[in-house]
Amino acid sequence: MTPIVAFRGVGKTFPGVVALDGVSFDLTPGECHALCGENGAGKSTLMKLLSGVISDYGGEILVRGEPVRFRGTREAEAAGIAIIHQELNLVEQLSAAANIFLGRERRTAMGLLDDTTMERESAELLAELECPVDPRTPAGSLRVGDQQLLEIAKAVSLASDVLIMDEPTSALTDAEVARLDRVIARLRARGVTILYISHKMDEVFRLADRITVLRDGRVVTTVDRTATTPREITSWMVGRDIAAHDFHGSRSPGAEVLAIRSLTLPWPDHPRGYRLKDVSLELRAGEILGVAGLMGAGRTELLETIFGAAEPTWTGEILLDGRSVRFSHPADACAAGIAMVTEDRKRLGLFPDLDVAANVSLCSLNEAVRGGLLSRSREESLVAGPLRETGVKTPGPHAAITGLSGGNQQKCIIGRWLLVKPRVLLLDDPTRGIDVGAKAELYTLIDRLCREGLAVILTSSELPELLALADRIIVLSEGRLTAEFPRAAATEQKIMEAATGTTNHVTI
Amino acid sequence: MNSSGSAGGGWRLPRHELAILAATVAVFVVTGWLDPNHTYFANWAESRDIIVRNTALLGIIALGASVVIIAGGIDLSAGSMVAFSATTCALVLMLCAAPDDRRLVTVGPAGIAAAVGAAMLSGLLVGTLHTWLITAIRLPPFVATLATLVGLRSFARAMCLFVTKERWGSESQQINVNTPFFAWLKEHNVWIMAGTFLVLAIVTWLILSRTVLGRHLYALGGNEQAARLSGIRTENVKWFAYCYGSLTAALAGIFLMADSSVAQPGTLARGYELNAIAAAVVGGCSLQGGVGTVPGTVLGALFLRLVIDAVSKLIKASADVYEGMIVGIIVALAVTFTQVGRRGQAGRAFFSGARGLAAIPTIATFAALLATMAAANVPVLEGRTGLFGVVVGGITLVALAAIRHLESRHAS
Amino acid sequence: MFVAPMTRSRLHLALSMTAAILLAGCSSERKSASPTADAAVGKPAASATKKPRRFIFITNGDDPFWDALLSGLKDGEQRFGCAAAGITVARDVNNGSAEGQIERLRQYATQDDVAGIAISVIQADNQSIVEEMKKLRAKGVKVITVDGDVNRDTFRDARSYYIGTDNVVGGRTLGTAARALLEARGVTEGGYVQFAGFTDNDNARSRMNGVKETIGPAYAERDRMADEMDLPRARDNVRNATQNHKDLAALVGIWAYNAPAIADVVTESGTRDKYVIATFDAQDLAIGHMEKGRIDVMVVQNPFEMGVRTVRLLKAMVEDDKPVLDEMFPNSASAGGDVHTTGLRVVVPDSTSPVKSNLFDPQVVEHMTLPDFKAWLAKYNLTSS
Repeated sequence: MTPIVAFRGVGKTFPGVVALDGVSFDLTPGECHALCGENGAGKSTLMKLLSGVISDYGGEILVRGEPVRFRGTREAEAAGIAIIHQELNLVEQLSAAANIFLGRERRTAMGLLDDTTMERESAELLAELECPVDPRTPAGSLRVGDQQLLEIAKAVSLASDVLIMDEPTSALTDAEVARLDRVIARLRARGVTILYISHKMDEVFRLADRITVLRDGRVVTTVDRTATTPREITSWMVGRDIAAHDFHGSRSPGAEVLAIRSLTLPWPDHPRGYRLKDVSLELRAGEILGVAGLMGAGRTELLETIFGAAEPTWTGEILLDGRSVRFSHPADACAAGIAMVTEDRKRLGLFPDLDVAANVSLCSLNEAVRGGLLSRSREESLVAGPLRETGVKTPGPHAAITGLSGGNQQKCIIGRWLLVKPRVLLLDDPTRGIDVGAKAELYTLIDRLCREGLAVILTSSELPELLALADRIIVLSEGRLTAEFPRAAATEQKIMEAATGTTNHVTI
Repeated sequence: MNSSGSAGGGWRLPRHELAILAATVAVFVVTGWLDPNHTYFANWAESRDIIVRNTALLGIIALGASVVIIAGGIDLSAGSMVAFSATTCALVLMLCAAPDDRRLVTVGPAGIAAAVGAAMLSGLLVGTLHTWLITAIRLPPFVATLATLVGLRSFARAMCLFVTKERWGSESQQINVNTPFFAWLKEHNVWIMAGTFLVLAIVTWLILSRTVLGRHLYALGGNEQAARLSGIRTENVKWFAYCYGSLTAALAGIFLMADSSVAQPGTLARGYELNAIAAAVVGGCSLQGGVGTVPGTVLGALFLRLVIDAVSKLIKASADVYEGMIVGIIVALAVTFTQVGRRGQAGRAFFSGARGLAAIPTIATFAALLATMAAANVPVLEGRTGLFGVVVGGITLVALAAIRHLESRHAS
Repeated sequence: MFVAPMTRSRLHLALSMTAAILLAGCSSERKSASPTADAAVGKPAASATKKPRRFIFITNGDDPFWDALLSGLKDGEQRFGCAAAGITVARDVNNGSAEGQIERLRQYATQDDVAGIAISVIQADNQSIVEEMKKLRAKGVKVITVDGDVNRDTFRDARSYYIGTDNVVGGRTLGTAARALLEARGVTEGGYVQFAGFTDNDNARSRMNGVKETIGPAYAERDRMADEMDLPRARDNVRNATQNHKDLAALVGIWAYNAPAIADVVTESGTRDKYVIATFDAQDLAIGHMEKGRIDVMVVQNPFEMGVRTVRLLKAMVEDDKPVLDEMFPNSASAGGDVHTTGLRVVVPDSTSPVKSNLFDPQVVEHMTLPDFKAWLAKYNLTSS
């Protein structure tokens, strides 16, 4: 059977970086083909080539046996290839129906927009996808799970034969994941081929027929799902055998450092009325407290409130070493010994125009001052320590920070805060977008810091990560604390249930 | 590789600044050569004085503008601040002079000190006002400084009319300043202004590249949210930046008042803020913030003034008619080249597609019109201005079409 | 578009080219050494090298008044054989500010082919403008003022001569005419307001004082309003004046564009008949207004003639032509002898106007009706004066 899509020796080079090198594999019509690889392995570049975003590459792509070279997404869509991005491409102010038909609006005989037809067809599509949404609702007010189905609806309405899904379940609840599985099954029954990008082994092994592993821009292997195991796939992805990390050798928590009592953060314009309600917790030195929860549950807001970066309208108490504190500015929190590594380092953590040394030294510049002026040599020796400690790989302290990989950038930011010598370190989803190898290095680093007496609150969307690192895990759901587990009693199942509100407040 | 123009950069040869320097030298040489009067050679001292004086004045304001831009803000009100400061200075002089002294010759040193102090204080107050509007009221900087752009000048004019009426019995739109101190200042103003500019440039450079505050300014401009979350008190840093911008404008106002012997708030320094921003941008500042250097701004000011001066020499018309066009073209070109070099977009095609095709005749038409108008003032082309315009337009058309052809050849 | 990086070799190339050009420029400069020093000493320039020279006229701002003057300049250029002497005459329109004139004077000081400058000074008391004029004179450039003079008491040595309307006489003429009109209407008392660009300007001041002198004590000057050459503001001033002063009987326009401003505003508010409208100069808009009966009398300067005589004077100064200089300035030894007045005209809509020719000294003021005036304009291809 002719493959519906075939890659033959596809290569792409960006200035200074080889993104893809001699990639060859096929997609059989009607299959669900998983594509696995670390960040930086080349998955997204490959998808950009297939969906028409990039047209300048080496090698060949054949669609239904014919060589093609798409010069834009329109051409790819016309050939039946559609992509559902990880960052959804919806126009929030337009309705669901308008988004589905964006660029291909139906018109009446007089040339005006035919909203009635579009809404009717959208309703049909959405019903098929088990999405009970009124087509006139603005896309921005839908839940993430529904927004994703909207994208799928758009692709389906294009009568695509090949659907590329990029990390589709990163923001879905269990119920929505199950729904997505059913939708995928339905699509496959209709003969749609699915290229499924993920590094969640459970999904891959549930859905895929065959799996292709990319590493450093090359295809490592293409195997049948039945012929392999998750551990094998993971080792192919990183090129080494990763044993599940187990750190709980000898970490013993010390005295209580931070306590929070009935923290409530109001949210004036929202029906719910609060971002956080009645959250209480304790944190001891040398301990890692994991915070689980879905997007929007309030994890970041919790950390921001502790750090003094949230609106000062919160009520309740925050006690640092038993003293009640109320920080109105991160500078105050910093002076008191609390540090925070924000999520989304590009938006909130990095200074793209400053070099590595400047990024790392930013919070401790006073130590690099000599005679009233910043001393270059002092700055360099100041940052040498954290750079070494965190294991940043950089051409030198004055390289551009934008040239570093995501993992190394994150290490720089952690190094920045280590220089402040904090007692409490708040980490907000620190390993997002970081490849497996770098993650392992970060885990080791955090563990070591804790053994040295640092108290850490760690937020993460990846349950295995929390289970590996944390001593205790609390779960937030829609602003409330719904569960608290010591490490031994926690399972992914229980955490997920608490995060999605399927159980009431549970303490074990 | 670290792009020049950012803090904590390595000591590489700053490519951008070299390019501006080369362009400046080129303009200087070409003008000196083409000018039938060979003014730069025949009257070196006076030409130099004009250029130095104007560059210093523009440069003082541009240094303040670039600090604000590096910090991620913008100050549209610099020109009005200049007028306001000059008016304040003149009004205080007036109040310290004898009641019927309409030329302000009777002001003693205390009065002069008070006047200068009042002018600088007005800069501080306006800078503080800007910061308050931007941080407490949360107005976008564009809006806040737009409000002062129109408000300050109008306020200065109202003040002028009011105080002149109170003091002298009749309203006057301007105040003549013939105080001996300022007359002396004017006489030596080339070297005093150049010296002040130089000192200010060194101080600004020190602050920006060698102090904690300077690092915080770059951080604030580069990523304001991250700066706040790193413990930087962003509101204080902004206050410094906007006050710096207004104080430099206030200083320029005093110099300008001395140079023209009059404070006329209605017309003084109209449009200066745009030239200052242009100088900063040509010198490498990015309007998004976080990028820019003092040498770049200094060179940008020099380059801008040199080109404007060249117009006076070559076209023998008065430059201020053409000044706007020149500044516009230079800023567009300079920023284009900066962007292309910096973000590695060297492979991007400028003239592809239908819009590129439409851009070519548009640019050629503008070039032809511009050449025709410019030629009207050049005696050697008398009577043939239309032909000259057509020729220039034709050359532009052919050149752009060739570029488009080369681009499409390279892409496929 | 491809931008090649600035390589070191290119930099070297640029620098060596620069050096070569500099050398070339220097050598050519030596060949054409300028004899400006000679001209200052009174040696006839005709015997020096026929280097091209320029006369520049710097206006105070942008106004159609200067177009009539430009016609005069061109006429003079032809009439007095400038081309044969290698002289071109040009006009430079200022932007309405003092800095503009200062900067222009400085630029011309660096250009050796400028032999003569005529300027309508925008602020009579501005020391900076005066100093630049003095520097030009020290270099040997001939400097005269036209239409707008410096303060004659303090800064007389800034320029050699002044050509222009005798603005005091002009003011007095207008005042006399206004009085005649007011008396003809039977208005024996009331107020009037005068409108100009700048109240500090020499010609404005002189005119306004002249008006006040001759309009008589029966009428009170309520205000002098300046608009800084901003046309919308000129109109606003008229509106404000008519609202603020209830006993207003006359509106006096001092600068050329004030006339149409006043006429526009009274027409739009329908109050034309309440006021006597007496204005200076004859912009073509103003002529149109007078035709429609909205202006009662215009005292018209002769910018065309000013232009002609500017060229004549500058050429005579540059060539040290004593007979011409004596003819234009017979009393050059005495005070006020450096002033050369161009004529004034009083223009009325028709012969029924109460402003009669016997009110004025025919040597100084020519009385004309509008149709005759328009015929004169047509003769010289002008639309305004």
